[in-house]
Amino acid sequence: MARRHRFEPNIKKNSTFALNITSMTDMFTILLVFLLQTYSTSDVQIIPEKGLRLPTSASLSSPTEATKISLSTSALKLGQTQIAVVKNADFLAQDLEEHDSNFIKPLFDELDKIAKNNPEKDHVKEGRIILQADKELPYATLRKVMYTASMAGFPQLKLITLVGE
Amino acid sequence: MRRAKKIKINHNSEFDLDLAPLLAVMVKLVPVLLISSAFVQMMVIETELPQVVSEAIQKQENDPIQKNITLDVDPTQGFTIDISQNNQSTNENIPLKNGLLDFEELHKHMVAIKKLHPEIFKLDLNPDAKIAYKDIVKITDELRQAHDPNIKFPVFDSKKGKVTETPFMFPQIIFANMMEGTHNGKTTSL
Repeated sequence: MARRHRFEPNIKKNSTFALNITSMTDMFTILLVFLLQTYSTSDVQIIPEKGLRLPTSASLSSPTEATKISLSTSALKLGQTQIAVVKNADFLAQDLEEHDSNFIKPLFDELDKIAKNNPEKDHVKEGRIILQADKELPYATLRKVMYTASMAGFPQLKLITLVGE
Repeated sequence: MRRAKKIKINHNSEFDLDLAPLLAVMVKLVPVLLISSAFVQMMVIETELPQVVSEAIQKQENDPIQKNITLDVDPTQGFTIDISQNNQSTNENIPLKNGLLDFEELHKHMVAIKKLHPEIFKLDLNPDAKIAYKDIVKITDELRQAHDPNIKFPVFDSKKGKVTETPFMFPQIIFANMMEGTHNGKTTSL
């Protein structure tokens, strides 16, 4: 009796195959267009503070180089350094001047240092500050920051907002 | 004589385009763009003014006839617009609407005021201490320029020697009550 051979499919071990990448290219093209739309061309990068809710505005001006101050419901920061604590939408009494409740001592000291150490920088010379503030904070709290900043030689205030109506 | 051999060209032939290099470029571009993309667009409230408007602001500052517009904002009373000229002043009040500040009415009033006083570009803003920051930003939006693109205000262009038009109403907003309770006259402007 003839012995039955096991069926072996005819597969070439070293064969190559072309991967169809058309759909992947389509996907990447869409992704590229979307990313190009959101590409930031601003020369100044502003990092949004954690827990800080910015108000929306119809303004479409890009930020320029300036001293960055952020005021959230918990802290006042100069750059990334916390300089005062905010509690119940107000500053602690220890951070305010005894005879002038609008004057934030640590903020004035830090801004004064910046003004003295970097007098050659344009934004320091012109006294420009960029303020990121929480949208729910009252004007009374903001006023203290504006007042102290202008006393320290930074009267040009730029308010950071989100794009929207 | 031998006839030239005809080359057969199949006009319906198909070929596969090699997309691999294109894909390679895209794979490199996508991470670069992902890093530099701004998914949250942040802007500043700052108005780059045309030269004619800047000149008009300068002119207003040097004007001997002191014409001034002040806007008081109170969470219980609403908006109060005060127009003073030669020691005479007129008041207009915009009451609250459903217990909230009526921004729409404020814009309408300010457009009407600007039409009457097109030479004024500066406004003193006096918000109450309790007014939320988001409301202040909204007020500045209402004051800066007319929402309706068809509404334009006349402004004199000294270089061309004729009157041109601008959509700006009150681009220079000054927090006039910032120094209240102090003896310093400094103010912060936007």
